[in-house]
Amino acid sequence: MTTSASRSGGLAAGRAAARRRGRFKTRERAGLWFVLPALVVYMLFFGLPFLATLWLSFTDWGGVGWPDWTGVANYDRLARDGAMWHALGNNLIWVVLGTAIPVLVGLVLAVMLWSDARGSVAYRTVFFLPVILSPVVIGVIWGWIYNPLFGLLNTGLRGIGLGAWAIGWLGEPGTALYAVLVTAIWSYFGFCIVVLFAGLQKVDPELVDAARVDGAGPVQRFRSVIVPQIAPVLTMVTVYTVIGGFNAFDMVWVMTQGGPNNASEVIATYTYEVAFRGNEYGYGATLSMVMSVVALLAAWATMRLRARIA
Amino acid sequence: MAPRRRRRSPRAWATLGRHALLLLFAGLSIYPILVMWITALRPAREAQANPFGLPIPPSWDNLANAWVRGRFGDYLLNSVILTVPTVVGVVALSALAGYGIARFRFPGRVLAFGAILLGLTIPFQSVMIPLYYQLLGMGLLGTYWAVILPGIAFGLPFGVFLMAAFFEDLPKELHEAGRVDGCGELRIFWSIMLPLARPAISTLIVFQFMRSWNEFLMPLLYLQDEAKRPIPLGLMFFQGTYTRDIGLIAAGVTLATIPVIAVYLLFQRQFVRGLTAGAVK
Repeated sequence: MTTSASRSGGLAAGRAAARRRGRFKTRERAGLWFVLPALVVYMLFFGLPFLATLWLSFTDWGGVGWPDWTGVANYDRLARDGAMWHALGNNLIWVVLGTAIPVLVGLVLAVMLWSDARGSVAYRTVFFLPVILSPVVIGVIWGWIYNPLFGLLNTGLRGIGLGAWAIGWLGEPGTALYAVLVTAIWSYFGFCIVVLFAGLQKVDPELVDAARVDGAGPVQRFRSVIVPQIAPVLTMVTVYTVIGGFNAFDMVWVMTQGGPNNASEVIATYTYEVAFRGNEYGYGATLSMVMSVVALLAAWATMRLRARIA
Repeated sequence: MAPRRRRRSPRAWATLGRHALLLLFAGLSIYPILVMWITALRPAREAQANPFGLPIPPSWDNLANAWVRGRFGDYLLNSVILTVPTVVGVVALSALAGYGIARFRFPGRVLAFGAILLGLTIPFQSVMIPLYYQLLGMGLLGTYWAVILPGIAFGLPFGVFLMAAFFEDLPKELHEAGRVDGCGELRIFWSIMLPLARPAISTLIVFQFMRSWNEFLMPLLYLQDEAKRPIPLGLMFFQGTYTRDIGLIAAGVTLATIPVIAVYLLFQRQFVRGLTAGAVK
């Protein structure tokens, strides 16, 4: 009696467990319904056109009719397209200087703010101000600063007797790219300061004090105690600036449109021109693919580099 | 009072040097913006003669002219029309999807999450050409939807990433408790999870708001109607029209910057948290 009761009890329990497992599965499937709306919008306005770009990159298309499949012809052209390599080179300059300078300046200033709390909030408020402005607004502001005739920079230079240096910063092939880059750095270093400052909140001050007691100078404390502790944040900031550098468009477009000639051309402005001014949508798509690949590679390489260093 | 004749210690000098450097960079951050506001209040002729001068007495002509001729009132309205639905869409879809990915183990979960995360690094340029023709085919090109819908799609990678990370950190017991009480999944989400997610949602709102408010290339390509331009686009064309009139351009910049900076100063903490969320986590 007792055995059969316990057996049937056991059976019932087993069946209940199976039922629970089944319900568990349907429950888990509910997640799909939560994800579906986002997935539909994302696929429709991102996934689909992205695949279309990939396909278009193997075609020749002027915007009307059906695109002509040309195989790898566009990629072949890419390899021999001097203007493209020039633009990509400018991106490289942008990425190296536009990352190294704001990150280094940001690191030094963030450590200063961190080691002396007086006025820290007010400083951060001001440093962050350019970060919230649109690149277009910033481009217009700096376009005026660089104005050859009555801009701030040249009027200032003439005022201190350096009139010979007063050139058309955005109009000279030798300076256009760097003038835009300075603007980008200006708009960005506050972001680095604030992010790195947030990272520094996790640094243990006792470790820094211990290093001081052990006779480590300020530079050594900075390099060997502080930097390793904020390495993850440092990597994230670097990834951000590197990806941003390869995608730079708004500021360049507003300030120089890639000119004069193509002196300040970057891959994004070149892609825009080829596609929407030259009506070469097939080759434009190929250039778009280059941008995706470069951005992915850059993100991956920065992550790897960090893994190697830390 | 005792005379302050004490010699400063090396430490005090270091502090002084530190603040001098910080002040220098603070001035560097703020001066280009400030000088535009000042210039907006000066007659153009005066501003061209000496860009460093002060507006004494202030003249309001530039601002009035820019507002009327530059249609900045329209641009402001357009920016609101484009930004608000985009932010609402991104937040709603991201909260749902982030929760679904963090709390359920459904088939295809990893694939869906991976596909969405891929969008974190892919630039808009990678879709801009076919998307133009797609929007044309859907009859959306030139309407506000041509910027709103792709804007939502491009906001999703970061939004879903942020919300999934947040829900992942919530204790699992909360969800179980809701199930034991017999709540449906949607009810659990709406009444238990969403109120808890308020900090993450406010972060996402600010991030997406800034992104949409400053968006440039998308409206440049898909909103060619002058009457539908948002502020950045309007300012660019305004600058192109009045290249020589610095007073007017400065007024345009002033009208474009004052609202954003006012909102920033009001919600500063949320702004900093929102804009640095991706890097600090």
